[in-house]
Amino acid sequence: MKPSAFDYHAPTSVAEAVSLLADLGEDAKPIAGGQSLVPMLALRLTALEHLVDLRRVSGLRGIEQRDGAVRIGAMTTQAVIGRSAEVARGVPLLARATPLIGHFQIRNRGTIGGSLAHADAAAEYPAVALALGAQLEAQSPRGRRTIPADRFFTGLWGTDLADDELLTAVAFPRWDGRCGFAIEEFARRSGDFAIAGAAVAVALDDGARIRRCGIGLFGLGPTPLRASAAEAALTRAGLADVTAEDVGRTALADLESVPSDLHGSADYRRHVGAVVVARAWQRAVQEASDA
Amino acid sequence: MDRTRGPVDPVRAAAARYAGARVARVEDPRLLTGHGTFVDDVVRPGMLHACFVRSPLARARITGIDVSEALAVEGVHAVFTAEDLNPGVHEPWYSLAGRDVPDSPRPPLAEDEVRFVGDPVALVVAADRYLAEDAAELVVVDYEPLPPVVDYVTARESAELVFPQFARNVLGELGGRPTTELAPVFDQAPWSVRETVYQQAYAPVPIETRGLVAEWSAAGGELTIWAATQSPHEVRLFCSRLLGLPEHRIRVVMRDTGGGFGQKAVVQREDMCVMLAALKVPAALKWIEDRRENLLAAGQSRHEHGDVRMAFDADGRILAASIDYVQDVGAYPVPWPVGPSMAVGMFFPGPYRVPEGTFSITSVFSNTVGRTAYRGPWQFESVARELMLDVAARRMGMDPVELRRRNLLRRDELPYTNPVGVPYGDISPLETFEQALGMLDYEAFRKEQERARGEGRFLGVGTCTYVEPTTAGMGVHGTEGATIRIEPSGKVNVYVSGGSTGNSLETTVVQLTADALGVDIADVHTIQGDTAITPFGGGTGGSRSGSMTAGAVAETAAVLRERIAAIAAHRLEAAAEDIELVDGHARVRGVPGAGLSLAEIAAIAYLQPESLPPGMPAGLEASGRYRAESMIILANATHLCTCEVDVTTGRVTLLRYIVSEDCGPMINPSVVEGQIAGGTVQGIGGALYEHLAYDADGNPVTGTFMDYLLPTAAEVPIIEYGHVETPGPGPGGYKGVGEGGAIGAPPAVINAVADALAPFGVHITRLPLTPESIVTLVRRARESRAAEPGTVPR
Repeated sequence: MKPSAFDYHAPTSVAEAVSLLADLGEDAKPIAGGQSLVPMLALRLTALEHLVDLRRVSGLRGIEQRDGAVRIGAMTTQAVIGRSAEVARGVPLLARATPLIGHFQIRNRGTIGGSLAHADAAAEYPAVALALGAQLEAQSPRGRRTIPADRFFTGLWGTDLADDELLTAVAFPRWDGRCGFAIEEFARRSGDFAIAGAAVAVALDDGARIRRCGIGLFGLGPTPLRASAAEAALTRAGLADVTAEDVGRTALADLESVPSDLHGSADYRRHVGAVVVARAWQRAVQEASDA
Repeated sequence: MDRTRGPVDPVRAAAARYAGARVARVEDPRLLTGHGTFVDDVVRPGMLHACFVRSPLARARITGIDVSEALAVEGVHAVFTAEDLNPGVHEPWYSLAGRDVPDSPRPPLAEDEVRFVGDPVALVVAADRYLAEDAAELVVVDYEPLPPVVDYVTARESAELVFPQFARNVLGELGGRPTTELAPVFDQAPWSVRETVYQQAYAPVPIETRGLVAEWSAAGGELTIWAATQSPHEVRLFCSRLLGLPEHRIRVVMRDTGGGFGQKAVVQREDMCVMLAALKVPAALKWIEDRRENLLAAGQSRHEHGDVRMAFDADGRILAASIDYVQDVGAYPVPWPVGPSMAVGMFFPGPYRVPEGTFSITSVFSNTVGRTAYRGPWQFESVARELMLDVAARRMGMDPVELRRRNLLRRDELPYTNPVGVPYGDISPLETFEQALGMLDYEAFRKEQERARGEGRFLGVGTCTYVEPTTAGMGVHGTEGATIRIEPSGKVNVYVSGGSTGNSLETTVVQLTADALGVDIADVHTIQGDTAITPFGGGTGGSRSGSMTAGAVAETAAVLRERIAAIAAHRLEAAAEDIELVDGHARVRGVPGAGLSLAEIAAIAYLQPESLPPGMPAGLEASGRYRAESMIILANATHLCTCEVDVTTGRVTLLRYIVSEDCGPMINPSVVEGQIAGGTVQGIGGALYEHLAYDADGNPVTGTFMDYLLPTAAEVPIIEYGHVETPGPGPGGYKGVGEGGAIGAPPAVINAVADALAPFGVHITRLPLTPESIVTLVRRARESRAAEPGTVPR
């Protein structure tokens, strides 16, 4: 469990980092906390010629309010996010997801940019980004661009980022009005990647109708998923017309390629997936109704 | 409490001051501050590092090995294959199993055929471990795949053989009277239950993996080995036989070892390779197993099933019990798994009144990792019996607790011989059972359970009561030595063989010695684990260290007490029989103030030999060897667990966990409870989380801690302890306590879940109990009983 040899680079600016990535090509990878990448290297599941460490890059950390969103620098650690009053107030779903990530030692090093760019299908943050409609900011030698969360996750551990493109920040738009948020996951043990999980955001109108909702799913496919069809069906529906169980069933209805392994068959994951969606939905709706 | 036998001891130490007390562990300051010395902390000049090339296939013929590319890597010293190392093997037999058992093959490196994924094929030696791993990737092994025998359950019918010389893939069979003799009892009994109980493979998984450093000095003809081991003296003795080197030219040193649980009890194939290779390289050679290797190749345990039958009369009294037991030994089990498996049959009747019983034992090879010892290797006797008692109770419509009450042995029935011939005495099964139920408040729990069911919540309670063999008094485990040296300053050093892997053996020995010599515990130090200076001993294993080292210390200290008393009597002009040893002084009984400190006596013994009584040897050092007085010392306990089951997701939340244990008088309650806790957590892991799994092609699928799930602090409830202290037949009445936790926990947890699911009519006979398996059981129960509305909760 020793990695093969690699060159270590520690750039200090985003421009320097993306230029390194451009020069080094596909044999290089950014490291943004290393909580997934280092074990993969140690197990020799992957071998890289170059690691570009982002920890010294300035301007990638911090949490700020900007344009009606809470914008978080990519190298902000999960521990900092978990402690942030700004996040708790502005993006409660993100705050509630954070304690579910691994253990505190992992959250001390793991970063939000690392979580999103690693794009593990069973991780919490990608599902939260999908449910809330986050905007991901990226920079490459060709300039900057913003990628909506639902176009970011493209395949198994795959994202829309080019090899020489760096995720620099993620902006979570504030959901205002009568809103509720909940994340529910089922894992074999505390801190494990979820067998099935759901992040739910719901906004109600002044009556008892659903104005808007977002449902992010994790552990239920090759990528983090958004239950778009269910969201569309629920939008403008009356609360009285949908049960939580219906939401769970609908959200899981057209999932393909549900994973299957020792810890849970595809059938079991579907079953538990519907349960966690229903439980998260119920809590989110309760919170919105009480707001 | 002092029930020391043996030679009459004229000089008694004062009443025990430390035995029985919660003395703080002497190991803790160094361990808790990160200053322990584990084998990977050992660094030698010019030390080289080893890495194994392992088979990626479950079974294949090796048709060629090309090491040239690996050898060409800068920093690589050697790449050894079977033809380099295996001819160096002389007589590789184990003291524990003996020379003459029909052992299974155990080549250091695989020769013509690989037999499991992880089978070591070549050994790369390089300047560091990184380079060694780089080079290992460059060793080219040509394999011709062969069909593997993956599933031990069907291995006996397989056309393929793991070893051609073992027909039907059977390593060995044992048995009592034929089960057919009991058929009339089972057939005619008012209640008769029969189930196949299956337990998955799981493993000891010590936090410190295996490893050793071996350094050969050709000039001196000396080999020094630093090892992570439970038995340093056995490492030396085995190595001596393996290499054909004289035993006294080999020195094995172990200081701290981070867990063994049986996995480090004996030398395994990788250790052999490093010992053999050490003779061929110019510097010390280190191999530290990594976690992937540990899960791949350090061994499996538990994997087994039993066809279990129990018969009862109309009142629930047991009439007969039998088990036909089959265990998976993998490809290269440690020696010799057939023998110890006998304990499954012998203890299957447990601490119950069972008039008739029998068993059969079959050990079956498969193309998976070999079976190793694991904390309570015969534990399946309790899993099978206790699961069946719950199944039987529900069939009879009886509370499982009531069923056990009617059948547990009472103290007034002892001694008692169980139906397969095991004599029981000095145990307290009913007492531990009632104590555990009392700690829970069983009746109150049943009421709470009833209320919860009304709310659609499912709580359960499960128990396991067992009797276990500890401190086997035979063979290499039949004796234990101690050397006690009172130094010229009066400070005390105690030398015992060692092998502590977290067992608190240093604390135990220091406590016992301080009591035996009547000195302050701060004045006693212990040295363990270095074969050059400690007496031979069997190491830790078989829950033997407490009782055996107590015997060794008692025997040795008695000699020194007599000499101390004689010196003091001579100087004080008193009679030796009037001398007592208390608070580090030899005093004349009834004469306040008259006495000598141990330092003064030691000064006489070493520095003023002319002041010694006539005929008294100089110095204050003695060695003794205790020989076990009984074949076995029985311990017993009851585990009790409560849980809540979310029947929608299958999640099990443990609520309370209670252990009532009888290990005789406790030398140190904190150590006893630590041992129970560790074993219990391993048992909880086995019931709910841990599974060393293979796919249908024989590929391991739980190669990291992401997939091999150990319970963590978050999954384990506070463990509550009750104690019953029934002295056993050995020194101090002490009994073993190292293994029991791992025996009692799985059945208690499984039965708690079974009890929670009782309204569904579910029986649990298959482990591990994963969330998915619980959901499946509940779903099937609902489906199969859908025809009877109202019988199963919605």
